[in-house]
Amino acid sequence: MRKILPKLAASAVVCAALVTAGSAADVIKIGVQAPITGKYANEGQSIDNGVRLVIEQLNAKGGVLGKQIEVISCDDEGKAQKAAICARKLVNEKVLAVIGSYTSGATEAAQTTYYRNKTLQTSDGTSDSLTKHKYWTFFRNSFQNSAQADFTAKYLVKEKGYKKIVVLSDYSSYAVGLADSAAKSIKAEGGNLIYQGKIKSGTQNFTAVLTKIKSMKPDAIYFSGYYTDGGLLRAQQQQLGIDAAFIGGDSNDNPDFMKLAGKSAKGTLLVNFPTPDFLPYDAAKKFLKDYNAKYGMAPASVWALMNIDGLKAIIYAAEQTKSFDTKKISDYLHTLKDFPGITGPVSFRDDGERINTKFNVYEIQADNSYKIVNK
Amino acid sequence: MDIFLQQLVNGLTIGSLYALVALGYTMVYGVMKLINFAHGDLVALSAFAGLTVYTNIFADGGTSIIAVITVFMFTAAIIAVVGVLLERLAYRPLRTAPRLSAVVSALGAGLVIQNAIMLIWGPNMKIFPSDLFPSTIWDINGVVVTFTQLMILGISSVLMIALYLFINKTKMGTAIRAVAIDQDAAKLMGINVNKIIMIIFVIGSALGAVAGLFIGIYYRGITFDMGWMYGLSAFVAAIIGGIGNIPGAMFGGLMLGLFNALISGYISSAWAETFTFILLIIVLIFRPTGILGEKVAEKV
Repeated sequence: MRKILPKLAASAVVCAALVTAGSAADVIKIGVQAPITGKYANEGQSIDNGVRLVIEQLNAKGGVLGKQIEVISCDDEGKAQKAAICARKLVNEKVLAVIGSYTSGATEAAQTTYYRNKTLQTSDGTSDSLTKHKYWTFFRNSFQNSAQADFTAKYLVKEKGYKKIVVLSDYSSYAVGLADSAAKSIKAEGGNLIYQGKIKSGTQNFTAVLTKIKSMKPDAIYFSGYYTDGGLLRAQQQQLGIDAAFIGGDSNDNPDFMKLAGKSAKGTLLVNFPTPDFLPYDAAKKFLKDYNAKYGMAPASVWALMNIDGLKAIIYAAEQTKSFDTKKISDYLHTLKDFPGITGPVSFRDDGERINTKFNVYEIQADNSYKIVNK
Repeated sequence: MDIFLQQLVNGLTIGSLYALVALGYTMVYGVMKLINFAHGDLVALSAFAGLTVYTNIFADGGTSIIAVITVFMFTAAIIAVVGVLLERLAYRPLRTAPRLSAVVSALGAGLVIQNAIMLIWGPNMKIFPSDLFPSTIWDINGVVVTFTQLMILGISSVLMIALYLFINKTKMGTAIRAVAIDQDAAKLMGINVNKIIMIIFVIGSALGAVAGLFIGIYYRGITFDMGWMYGLSAFVAAIIGGIGNIPGAMFGGLMLGLFNALISGYISSAWAETFTFILLIIVLIFRPTGILGEKVAEKV
C-alpha cells in the first residue's frame, strides 16, 4: 500500500496536468445549464440546440481567437437542487461561461457557485432578484420584471390614456412581483389605479372578483399571471359584460390563452418581448432559418434567442479583448453598447442588467394572429 | 344591488354543480356508509370522456341540440358503467371488511382513475370547444345571465327534482330507502341489495357525469387533477347538508356555492376556502348530522 500511494498520486498529478494542458491548449469550453427534461423541456432543449448551432457555425469559421469551442450541457430540470449540481459540474469542467438556465429559480441557485469560481453566466430569468447581488460574472440577457412593468404602465397611462385601471395577479411570487411593480409604475405615471386584487390560480371560477370589479367600471384590466387563468379571466370578463380592455403580462403569451378565451380572445392585448417571428433583424431571420434547417422546427420561444444573444455578446467580448480572462470579458461587457443581437441591440448596465428594453404590445386578431399595436 | 344579485347568480351556478356532485357522495354514503372518494375523479373522467365523444362524433362542428344531448347521454352512460365497475372491483369485495379498508380502497381507486386520465389524455390542460351551447347572454338590469348558466341551473334542478320523486314516489325508490335503513331486513323482504347498490352507483355516477360535462362547457379548461378540487367541495357540501340525506346534498351544494361567491366577492377569493371550512366546523359543532340531517331522518 505504501508503495502504491505515491505512484497513484504521481499518476493523478500527471493526468491532471495532461487534462488541463489539453483543455487549455486548444479548446475553450462553454457550458449550457438548462431544463433539457421535465416541465420546461422544450425551452431547455431550444437553448441547448441554439447554443450548439451557434458554436458549430463559429467552429466552422475557425473558432474564437484561433481556438475551437466545445459545448458541455447539464440538465437542471428547472429545479434548484439540480441546478446546484450542474453548477459544480460545469465549474469542474472549467468552462469559460455558462448559458442558462431558463427559469429564474434554477439560475439563482447556481449563480453564487459561478461567481466564486469566476465563471461567466448569462440567463434569461426575469426575476428582479437575479441582479441584486451585482455579481460581476452574471449577465441577464432578457429584461427584468420591473422593466416590463414600467413599459406596461407607460403604455396604459400615456399611450392609451386609460382612466380607471385594475391590476390582477395570482399568488405566485413572479405574478405578485410583476403586479406590484406595475401598480407602482402606474401610480408613478400618474395613472388612476382603482383596484389591485388577486385570484387563486386554477380555481377556474373568477366571476366573484370580476363582478366586484364590474361595479368599479374600469376601462382596463391588467393581469400579470399565467395563461391558464388569463384565458378564463378574459372569457368571464366578456361574459359578465365588463367593457374594459384586457392586458395580459408576458406569461399570457401562449396558444392555450386563445383556446380558453375562445371568441373573447379577440381584442386582448398582450405585453411581451418580440416573439421570434416578429424580430425585424436580419440576424434573427438567418438564425431561425439555420435552426429550422438543422432541427426541423422553430425554437420554442424567444427565450432561447435571448440566451443566444448572451452567448454571442460573451464571444464578441472575448474577441475584442483578445483574452479568455473572465474578468476582462466581464469588464468589457459592462461597457457594451448596442451590440447587434438577434433579439435587438444588447447593452449591459454595470450590475449585469440588460438595458434599453424592447417590448411590444400585441393585439389578438379574430384569427388568433398577433398584430403589434404599440408605437 | 345588481352586484349582489350578480354574485347570487354566479354562486347558484357553481352551487348547482356542487349539488350534483354532492348527490353522488350522499347516496353512496346513505346506502353503504362509505365515503366514495373516487367520485370526484369520476367527475373529471366525465369531462375528458365527454370531450373525446364530442370531438370524435361531431368533429365537423355540429352544434345541434341532438349532438349535445347525445354527448350528455353517451358520457353519462360511460361514467355510469365505470361507476358500477368501481363498485364491483373496489367496494364489493370489502363490503364486510372494516370501514377503514373501504375508505383506503376508495382513495386508491380515485388515484387509479386520476392517473388513468393522465396517461390517456396527458398531463396538459385540455380545452373544450366553445360552441356546444350558444353564447347568448341576457342582461337584466345589469345582472348578466348566460345561456350556459341557465342550462346548468335548469338541468340540475330538473335532475334533482326527478331524483327526489324517484326516491320518494316509486317502488324502486322505496327499496333504496329500505336498504339504506337496514340492509339485512331489506334482504329478508326480498330486496336484491346488490342490484340496489348498483342502481345507486349508476345514478350517482351519471349525475356526476352531467356535472363534469357542465364544468367542461362552462369553464372550458379541464385538467386530470381537477376531480380532487370539485370532489372536495362537493364532499363538504354533502356534509354541511347532512350526509346521506338527498335534499341535504342539494341544499348544501347550493349554499356552499352562494357562500363561496359572497366571500370571494366581498372579502377575498383567497379566504373563500378558509371560510368554507370554518362554516363546516361551525355546522359540525352545532349540528353534527348536518343542517338537514336530523337524528330521525331517513338516510338514503
